Amino acid sequence: MKLNTDMQVVKINDYLWEIPPSEKPGMLVPARIYASAAILGAMDRGVFDQVTNVACLPGIHRYALCMPDGHWGYGFPIGGVAAFNPEDGVISPGGVGYDINCGMRLIRTDLSLSEVQPKLELLMTELFRRVPAGVGSRGFVNLSRRDFRDVMRQGAGWCIANGYGWEEDLERIEERGCLEGADPTHVTDYAVERGINQLGTLGSGNHYLEIQVLSDKSIYDRATAAAMGLTGRDQVVLMVHCGSRGFGHQVASDYLKVFEKAMRRYGIFVKDQQLACAPFRSPEGQEYFGAMNCAANTAFANRQVITHRIREAFEAVFGESASRLGMQLIYDVAHNIAKVERYRDGEWLVHRKGATRAFGPGSPELPACYRGIGQPVICGGSMETGSYLLVGTDRAMQDTFGSTMHGSGRTMSRAQAKRTVRGEQLMRDMKQHGILVKAVSMSGLAEEAGFAYKNISDVVETVDYAGITKKVAELKPIGNIKG
Amino acid sequence: MPGFFRFLDDIALADMAFDAEGESLPALFDAATRALIESLADPVTIAEAWQHTVDMEEPDIDTLLFEWLGRLVYLKDAQGVVFHRATLSLNQNDARTAWHLHAELTGAPVDPATQDLRSDVKGVTKHLYAVTQEGASWKARVVLDV
Repeated sequence: MKLNTDMQVVKINDYLWEIPPSEKPGMLVPARIYASAAILGAMDRGVFDQVTNVACLPGIHRYALCMPDGHWGYGFPIGGVAAFNPEDGVISPGGVGYDINCGMRLIRTDLSLSEVQPKLELLMTELFRRVPAGVGSRGFVNLSRRDFRDVMRQGAGWCIANGYGWEEDLERIEERGCLEGADPTHVTDYAVERGINQLGTLGSGNHYLEIQVLSDKSIYDRATAAAMGLTGRDQVVLMVHCGSRGFGHQVASDYLKVFEKAMRRYGIFVKDQQLACAPFRSPEGQEYFGAMNCAANTAFANRQVITHRIREAFEAVFGESASRLGMQLIYDVAHNIAKVERYRDGEWLVHRKGATRAFGPGSPELPACYRGIGQPVICGGSMETGSYLLVGTDRAMQDTFGSTMHGSGRTMSRAQAKRTVRGEQLMRDMKQHGILVKAVSMSGLAEEAGFAYKNISDVVETVDYAGITKKVAELKPIGNIKG
Repeated sequence: MPGFFRFLDDIALADMAFDAEGESLPALFDAATRALIESLADPVTIAEAWQHTVDMEEPDIDTLLFEWLGRLVYLKDAQGVVFHRATLSLNQNDARTAWHLHAELTGAPVDPATQDLRSDVKGVTKHLYAVTQEGASWKARVVLDV
């Protein structure tokens, strides 16, 4: 098999491959890639280079991992997972990503396609009006600096306390929507000024708000789906993909500069400047962790405010309360984060960069309603093809630090996508295929065309066969809002 | 002579990258600035209703360009604006220990109804970032996170 690397890649099984430490000077552990042979063959050179760079970082435990949606990223590959000893290992903004706590949220409804379809245009208009998207968009929540510090510390809990959501939402958010250790004193004024007006906004790029449909034939595990309130019968659900916006990016940028200097002081050498890091227990490491948790909590709050606005839009269009429409949160999960987590072999600082937590059944971190089935895992596909709901497994707890894929992964550059199709044409084509689109930027829309992404079904099959997550349902889009 | 820029297809699959070039450092800065401004929105569609002055000083030219482009991204979010034009002047101090940039920016608050908005650039990255001199020509490669 021809791969985009000269390194030796050893087959462990049909869906797992390993690059031994002998393949690159400085590797402390093997690098492991979850992929079918076809997906591995299509992976760009950056994946192999970067996952082996990660394997060189001080304090790394067992493996540097890459998920099947992996592709080149800044420092870590997208799809990268690595665990470090919190006592003598490092923390790296390149292992979290610029969009700290970029993540996915899924909301159910009791509505069916036949009830929504006649009002879809109106619903899309309401959603587009209430959930700002695109360049420089500002949210409807006016925050003082003191309020914003409270958001940083309390995350989604701040939203509930201020009327933007339901108390029951919290138990269905990773870490109840609030990471401990958030310390606003380690956040720069630049970051605050970028973020203070952005609560409740989608942003642009690959972020979206989507109306989706779950048909009977798209449910793979009916009992597990039912435990999440999903029964099929063309049931309508809402998916949100966004993160901490400019605030998180500024935190990451600020600390990359801090860490470049700190590495010299701690005698740390990395293979790539974007892997800048510091010992987790060092002052710089703890300051970044405190600031990163602020950005993560702000992202949880951002998705919570967006959920509130979605419920308002449905109430306006259907003339019923959101609770009567059955608009419960199914789950909210991060895919750009670093957290200290407890496993059978100890406590590790787990970095997930374009990878989703996928805790298995019985995990004490899960709410009672999901402890029997495992954690819901929400994986967004392209806006033309659909998305998947999966659940975490024991195998993930043993092999991948409770982690799995996060989406489909790009295969084409933004510039190439724009040359291939115009946004206006794509919008017309999607409408013909039953998907309404509202977008702020037509060129931004063209960049996100379905053909620019891997087939998410192939990626999902890989993690399902590998046993690190199990398929529950496939969700098809009928409406997409983009920046 | 003004500098020029071109967007790059095959670098940073999920993001944006450009090369900027000029026959002088001011021309290079001008070209890189226009590349970032045009990434955000078509400047032809942006009025000059907002003005802002920036003065920055850094020890070397690489850092100055990186920080300046980052400042534009910050202003876009913090002020809620997109840009029409930037007029730049660049000087090195007498001791040759620092470079100073003076920039006069014009633009307008974001308005999707009247402006051709493009990508919401979130930041300037260090990936492949380089400022180089080849003969009389200055070049920069910049990857933007979107």
